[in-house]
Amino acid sequence: MENFNVLLVDDEPEFLETLVKRLKKRGLNISTAKSGEEALTVIMGKGIDVAVLDVRMPGIDGIQTLREIKKLDPLMEVIMLTGHASVEVAIEGMELGAYDYLMKPADIDELFYKLQDAFKKRTIQQEKIGKLEDLVSYKSKTKGVILK
Amino acid sequence: MCRLFNRFKKLFIKKPKLAAAVEELRIAFKDRYHSFKLLLNANNRALEIMANIERALQGKQPFGMTFVRSSCTAVSVNVFNMIKNIEKLAQGKYGKLNGRFNDIQQNIDRLLSQKKSTEDERLIIPLDAVNKEMTDLVGSKMANLGEIKNRLQIKVPGGFIITAAAYERFIRENDLQAEIDRRFQSTDVDNMEKLYTLSSEIQQLIIRSGVPDDLADDVMQAWKQLESETKDRITLALRSSALGEDTQDSSFAGQYRSELNVSIDSIFYAYKEVLASKYSLQAITYRLNRGFRDEDISMCVGCMAMVDAVAGGVIYSRNPVDMRDDSIFINSAWGLPKSVVDGSDACDLFVVSRKAPMEIIREDIKAKERKFVCFPEEGVCRMELTGDTGDLASIDKKQAFDLAEIVVKIEQYYAIPQDIEWAIAQDGSVYILQCRPLQQMEMEKKDIPESEFNADHEAVITRGGITASPGAACGTVYLADKGIDVLRFPEGAVLVTRQALPRWASLLNRSAAVVTEQGGFAGHLANVAREFGVPALFGVPGAVDRLSNGELVTVDADSLTIYKGKIEPLLVKSATKKNLMEGSPVYENLRQVSGLIVPLNLLDPDSSDFSPANCKTFHDITRFIHEKSVKEMFDFGKEHDFSEKSSKQLFYNVPMQWWILNLDDGFKEEVDGKYVKLENIVSIPMLAFWGGFTAIPWDGPPAIDGKGLISVIFQSTTNRALTPGVRSAYADRNYFMISKNYCSLSSRLGYHFSILEALVSERSIENYVSFQFKGGAADYQRRLKRVHFIGDILEKQDFRVEIKEDNLIARVEGHEMDYMKKRLEILGYLTLHTRQLDMIMANNATLNHYRSKIYKDIQNILNSK
Repeated sequence: MENFNVLLVDDEPEFLETLVKRLKKRGLNISTAKSGEEALTVIMGKGIDVAVLDVRMPGIDGIQTLREIKKLDPLMEVIMLTGHASVEVAIEGMELGAYDYLMKPADIDELFYKLQDAFKKRTIQQEKIGKLEDLVSYKSKTKGVILK
Repeated sequence: MCRLFNRFKKLFIKKPKLAAAVEELRIAFKDRYHSFKLLLNANNRALEIMANIERALQGKQPFGMTFVRSSCTAVSVNVFNMIKNIEKLAQGKYGKLNGRFNDIQQNIDRLLSQKKSTEDERLIIPLDAVNKEMTDLVGSKMANLGEIKNRLQIKVPGGFIITAAAYERFIRENDLQAEIDRRFQSTDVDNMEKLYTLSSEIQQLIIRSGVPDDLADDVMQAWKQLESETKDRITLALRSSALGEDTQDSSFAGQYRSELNVSIDSIFYAYKEVLASKYSLQAITYRLNRGFRDEDISMCVGCMAMVDAVAGGVIYSRNPVDMRDDSIFINSAWGLPKSVVDGSDACDLFVVSRKAPMEIIREDIKAKERKFVCFPEEGVCRMELTGDTGDLASIDKKQAFDLAEIVVKIEQYYAIPQDIEWAIAQDGSVYILQCRPLQQMEMEKKDIPESEFNADHEAVITRGGITASPGAACGTVYLADKGIDVLRFPEGAVLVTRQALPRWASLLNRSAAVVTEQGGFAGHLANVAREFGVPALFGVPGAVDRLSNGELVTVDADSLTIYKGKIEPLLVKSATKKNLMEGSPVYENLRQVSGLIVPLNLLDPDSSDFSPANCKTFHDITRFIHEKSVKEMFDFGKEHDFSEKSSKQLFYNVPMQWWILNLDDGFKEEVDGKYVKLENIVSIPMLAFWGGFTAIPWDGPPAIDGKGLISVIFQSTTNRALTPGVRSAYADRNYFMISKNYCSLSSRLGYHFSILEALVSERSIENYVSFQFKGGAADYQRRLKRVHFIGDILEKQDFRVEIKEDNLIARVEGHEMDYMKKRLEILGYLTLHTRQLDMIMANNATLNHYRSKIYKDIQNILNSK
């Protein structure tokens, strides 16, 4: 599987550092953000494929950040890391389109495979939409021809 | 209290005394009543907790050390309160109770704090120096591995173990245990959401902690040593090897984390992750359900040179689901053994016969989708298998025989079936990565006619897969996919999922059965399912698509079939879930301490043995104090020369042999003279009891058969309390102590005595009725029969009944007022109508007559307004 761009969002620098180091060793391109606000800035600046969000952060929390991310890029996949499980919050996250939930601290390999799966889903979705767009533009082209 | 004051005032008008003395007496009485109330409250709480302990000892519900500890603490606090209050009531008359209390308390503490400790302080031990006697230092997993490496010369990767002593150091230096205990104490472990948070928080706590410097130095040195031995750059596999997980019948399969292909940069983080996995969700639930004590589990971590395998898997030296099958089962996959262990993918199966020359009797080559291989630097990469590779056998025949030979050798050495993880390195050499005892199960034979469940049975949804854990069960389907499903999974559902991942293990105690599309019987989930006795059918193609959420199905793992709806004949013979608590360390611990808490030895208040010195348990102390407190309350009046006036004789048509002490607000208005009329009593529980007592007239004593009469006469000559004229003044009457919502009754009716205590008010959570019954005039066998006769009746009326010898204790609590009143009516009725029934206990026909009459009467009482 090719490399892809991952954004890790967590307000705890220690967790962030270790995770970055270990995921880089597994060949991923990693960006980081220490808050939801910063995450949105990073996403607007460069192409991110998958984001990993801590649900509990100061400032705008994980759920709100997820909502904003989906506005910016509906196809971006988001994995939520949670230390406190409220079923309501988890369901809300899933309904907002989170890819999955993992308990913090996540098993590094499990997280890595989840990232791969999420990226695969994104790729498939992009391909589908690409084909759809082709189809639409083809149709409009042919329509134009007929109209002419 | 004003009314109380008036009562005293009136009393003393006739015998003029100083107002100050009356006031003093009034305060003293108030003070005593307060102590008495506190004492009763504590008594009630203590008995409630004892009942909880007894229920836990039935072993049907899992519980942890938190329950054991908090129960012990709660009982002892309440017993202590009782002692303090009886001291006040009796002015230190029973000072000996303190000594008894302290002795019992110390013994309980000793039982609760026992813990294995070792002398060996080494933080690191090289695998080359390990053998199976070193379980306490390195955990059973690594001890077993060291044993076969060093004594059996089997090829095992080089490595070292970070010991139990190192774990203790880590926990101690970071002050973790107290904090972990505190968090457990404040968490409701039955609540999956709370448990999830607890698990996450404790794991983060551990990962944030620092590794002690000397431990870090030792690890680095051991690493260098290992690298110099292998003369190559190495990475490590970190495997948990927990101490205390080696008890019989427990596998701990997949409860803890293994970190594969760890580089020197990440070793300490990985070490902490393995330690933290002691508190993973599945590990916590597993310990809870199996009754392991948190403090007994020390996490040792085996660090072994990573084998970048071309193929790997798990071997069972015998069939885990059929004891009579001694074939060798080799599960194998491409790359690292990970996908076999975590059940995430299909794997090849080779069944090899044990007798020489070995033979492959079955070969099942699966379409494998992916393999796990090592990244160059660190970590494990999941690769999709392309081309034909996925369909090819991951090992050849010769390799299968080689593996079988090694396994037989290990099994012969340990003399018990083995569960072995193996890997074949790039150079073709075979390494053993783990070996442990294999739990075998008996395949249950069902007597179900074949015709009824033939292949084209209309209810069949799917057929196929493998029996990962035998049995059959019925439930509604829950399709689990995402991590959040751990929280949403409903109790008693059938868990259906694509991969047999270890993470689902935390749901097993709540599942009826498990169905997966991927995974074999060698994976962790299969292991735990067998251990918990949950039927599991794995490798069912298309299960997730063919079953829908909420659908009722019957899973028969034995015949590899899933049926629509409930198929009763299949469920009939399936064994109920195993009782996993019994025999576990936590259970044993509770059983031991309960011996100092629950048994009641002081049965007869008239016996000379009824003394503080003979209190062997907390129950004895509570019983002793309760008895004496009632006496003290009545004696107070006696000592102060107004008892006969403050306790009134009940007047109901005629003066009755019932004496009533109004503790507080039990009378409608103040009473002059020696009698109190029933209309003047407002005590809710007493009136309910009295209502039942007078509901149905008594026909007089039952006709006694000849033997019964002789028995009564004989007992009368030996039992002092039954002989007129020798009876103590205290014993010959029925005493009620009442307030509006409370009543306590000590009664001797006929030849038995009973103690009733009830609190009934609008606050249903505080409501309780407790009833104790003992004695009788007939011989022991008949008394015993009557006690059981009454016990049966009360149990049917939702009382919790405990019978010891001819002593019966029945309790009911926490219901709303009307419900409690009905229970009291029933007790009132029984108090009258069961007297002297012991005489006829040997005569079954008469007994049946009375039984049916009693049931009819009770029904009438329940139906009445």
